[in-house]
Order: sequence, then structure tokens, then C-alpha cells
Amino acid sequence: MLHKRLSQFLIIYFLGLGLLLAVKYCFGLSDYVIPGFTDMQNTAQAVAAGYLRAVLDTLGVAVIGHVLAIALATVVAIVGRPDNLLGTMIKTAAYNLQAYPIVAVAPIIFILLGDGLPSRLLIAAIICYFPLLLSFIGILGEPVAGIEHFYVVTGRMRWQLEVKIRAFENIHKLITVVTGSATLAMVGTIVAEFIGADSGIGYSLRIALYQSDIAKVLVALFLIGVFNSLYLVALELLGLAVRKRMGVEQRTQQ
Amino acid sequence: MNGALPRLVFLLGLLVLVSLLGGCRQRGGEPAAELNYRLKWLYNINTAGDLYAQEHGFFTSRGLKVTVKPGGPERDAIRELELGRAQFGVASADQVIRALAKGAPIVVIAQLFQQNPLQWIYRSAGACYASPRQLRGKTVGITFGGNDETIMRALLAKYRIAPDEVNLFSVRYDYTPFYRGEVDLWPIYRNAEGIVIAEKMAKAGEQTGFFVPDLFAVRFVANSLITTRSMLEENPGVVRSFRDALLSAWQEAMAPANAARTIALVHAYDQGTPAEIIAKQLDATRQLMLPENGRLGRIDVAAWQQTEKIMLEQGVIDSPVAVEKALLPDGL
Repeated sequence: MLHKRLSQFLIIYFLGLGLLLAVKYCFGLSDYVIPGFTDMQNTAQAVAAGYLRAVLDTLGVAVIGHVLAIALATVVAIVGRPDNLLGTMIKTAAYNLQAYPIVAVAPIIFILLGDGLPSRLLIAAIICYFPLLLSFIGILGEPVAGIEHFYVVTGRMRWQLEVKIRAFENIHKLITVVTGSATLAMVGTIVAEFIGADSGIGYSLRIALYQSDIAKVLVALFLIGVFNSLYLVALELLGLAVRKRMGVEQRTQQ
Repeated sequence: MNGALPRLVFLLGLLVLVSLLGGCRQRGGEPAAELNYRLKWLYNINTAGDLYAQEHGFFTSRGLKVTVKPGGPERDAIRELELGRAQFGVASADQVIRALAKGAPIVVIAQLFQQNPLQWIYRSAGACYASPRQLRGKTVGITFGGNDETIMRALLAKYRIAPDEVNLFSVRYDYTPFYRGEVDLWPIYRNAEGIVIAEKMAKAGEQTGFFVPDLFAVRFVANSLITTRSMLEENPGVVRSFRDALLSAWQEAMAPANAARTIALVHAYDQGTPAEIIAKQLDATRQLMLPENGRLGRIDVAAWQQTEKIMLEQGVIDSPVAVEKALLPDGL
């Protein structure tokens, strides 16, 4: 799984890089527009250690923000899953709020919370929270008629049981949604750092862009891609372990 | 079905390549039928002369068809020149020197600001920075990675102030830390947001002053007019006409007699800024572009060399670029 994810990323990254270099040499562009191979190599050697620390910092914030978003989305989806007034209001609010561009909201967050960890965490959580919420509401709001019917007619249905049945029956979808939103958490953290923080790879990217240094940007993108792939693999392995523990794999194979 | 996917991927790849190559159209070479002029920033007082040239026919009277395009944080005139998307542009000296260090074939044909508008605002009550040595123990805002960082570090080095004797504060678009008094000096463009902030603080009963690095012999050049070397070599007449048109327009736009026209023009493009503020910005801009005994557009070779030296000492560039070779002499 790890090998597959990493090789997919590396193929895409180096194809993109190759295309850039082809354009550079075709048109005789200077290293200022598109850095040459030697320039990239020198830049990588110079900034790799600092950027590695920055990416790990970003990844740490992204993971915490992601966990927060999952927890919050789960709670709100459970509250909002019934097809009543509250459920409809939560769904409408989620659809409307996710339309706000984070770059417009982020400055307000930075004014209120400063440019430290809380702002980065909140923005990372916000970016991956709404897609998670909408998916969770969709999954937990969809009755599993074949199983739920028995508990409903025997009067033993409780909300906890309803949530458990729906989560168990849709565990594959839930894991896919959680894994998919991991990239959003990473993107959210980088956006937050780019806009207002003083650390992380988003901040390094901002400085590189200030300095018009595309070689630094390419090194940062490489490290972001590698660590994002590693995080996705970790989540996929976690999902596999959860499915095995719940016996979903055996049941699917049968 | 077998082989459909590779074919689709190949076609998509080809499409991307064609779009990219289309974007990198012919560079330099033939005289452009239509010239694109990429500014450094959005329309504001710093583009007054550019707008004046466009609106009052300075280009057309010289047989030039010019489209003035606003800049912005993601726009880089030097890249656009190299890619052939623009023939003239405005770039700051640090951008020019960085680009020269990476082999970009650009030349400076005029220097717009004779004094750098990037200065630091401070509350003047109880503070007077007659010497940079008075910065010791103060909290100074800088944009890490920006040219204000380079200027401030050069100033500190010149006056032998150790970096730990000054608290450097990372600056963003939010001025709250300055308003709250957490930061003593805040970097601003004196003729643009400097006017707005000084006005706001005056309304709140606080007087402000500006810390000007140029006064302490740290001369770091700001915005300049640039083109490509091939454009200059192949179309010197077009370059001369363009430069003359633009500098004449700036001259007229800055003339006190034309102030009302200039203010109205800038306000038409920058409606978010009230006309009375633009009037004050215009006065400040005039002083930065036309200092006493100065001549509009004059390329200050010594200041450029000092800018290069500062960038070299600060490690912004790895080796000298001999910037004077990229500065066009007045005779063109």
C-alpha cells in the first residue's frame, strides 16, 4: 500500500517536473522563470532540513485538526441525521457555510486568535469539516431498512443502536470519506500557514514566493506530497485494522 | 476497451502540453503590434503616471498601442516579459537583481522612485529615531522574506546592532499589533497605506512619524521600468518611445497644476480610497519620485550598486550580478 501510494505520487511529481523542464529548455527560459536541474538540486540541499521540519510541523497540526473535524462532524451528523426541522437546518447550514472561501474567513480568525497554533488548527479543521459533515449526515441519515425494521417493530430501536447499525453497514464508505478528507486537512493547514502563521511549510512557501524562488516551491511541493501520501497510507492501514476488528472483511469475503 | 485509457491519457497529456506551449508564445523578436505593460501592483497612487499615460493618449500619440495591466501578489512582470506575455513591466530592484542572478535577460530603462517608499511608521509621541541606534530594545515589524527584512537587516548590520538587540516582529496585513502598541515600528509604503494609517491615528489623537532608511545611507531602490534585452536590441525605437511616453505622463501626472485630474483618474480606478486621501498620497508620491534636484526616471547607478551589495551581504543572492550592466544609460 505504502509503495503504491508513494510511487503514484512520485510518477505524477516527476512527470510534472519533466514537463516544466521541457518547457524551460524548449523556450530557453531563465532559472528565474523555471529553475534548472542544478538550481533545484542546490536549493534542495540548502533547504531540505528546514523544510522537512516545517512539513512535520504542518503534518502534526493537520492530523490534530483532522481528528477534531472528524469528532465534531460525527457529533453534528448524529444530531442532524433525523429528517426533522433540526436535521434540515443543520444540513442547510452546512451547505451554506462551506460555500464561504476560507481565504476570506481566515483573516478574521487570525485577528481573533492570533497567528499561533489555535488559528492553524481551526482553519485546518474548518476546511475538512464541512465535506466530512455532509458525507456523515448522508451516511448516518440513510436507514438500513432490512436490519432496522426488526428493531423498530419490536420497539427496541434506540438512537445509539440506529447509529451503530448505519455506521457498521457503511464502514467502508466512512473510512473512504475520512481518508479522503485527510488531504483537505493538510491543504487547510498549509493555507492557514500561508495566510497568517509563523511556522510550517505554508509559511515557508509564502517566503519562497516573496523571494520569487520557484526551486524552493518545488522542493516544498515534493515534501508535502511525500508526507501527505504517508498520512493517507497510515489512515488506510488504520481503516483496514478497524474493518478487520469489526469483522467486516470476513463478512465481505463470505 | 484495452488501450482506451492509455490513449485518453496520451491525448490529455498532449492537450496540456499544447496549452502550455501556447502560453509561452513568441518572445522578444518582432515589434509587437500591441504592447502589454504589466504593473507591479493593483491600481493605486503608485500607478498614477501609468494610468495617466493610458487615459491621456501619451502612448497613442507616439504610435504605440499599449494595454496597461494591473499587477498583484501573484503577478510577476519579469516572468511575463520572459514568457512574451508582456513587453514592458514594473519590478522592484530586489526582484530585478534576483532575476539577474538567475540569468533573466532583462534591462532597467527607468527608475520610477528616487527614494524608496518602503519605510517604517511609528508613534512620534515620546519617540524620535534620529539614529538607527535608537532601535535598540524596540519591537520592529518586518515581513520575513520581504525586502523590508533585507533593508532592516542591512541597517542593523551597518550600525553594528546585533539582531538580538532588536525584537523583530513578523508582520501581516493586520495592523492590530501596531495599533495596540505591541510593535513600535511598522513597515508601510509611505505614499500609500502610510497616509491612510497616519490619518487614522491622527483622528485617534496620535501623531506619527516615518523612519526612512535612505536618510541613514541605506539606499535600496524600489520600483523601476523594465523590458527584455532582446526587445531593446531589436526594437530600440519602440523602447525609447515607450519610456519617453511614460515618463512624460508621470511628469504631467505629478505636476501640481494637474493634481485634480490625477486625483480624479486614480479615484476612478481605485474607488475604495477617498479622493482626499488620494490627494495626500499624491503629495507624498511627488516627493518620492521627484526629490529636490532630482529628475524623473533617473537611474541612480550608485543606489543600484548598493542594493546589490546589500542583497549579497544578506545572502539574498549568492554571487555578484554586476547590476550596472543591466541599467540602461539615459541616451538609450
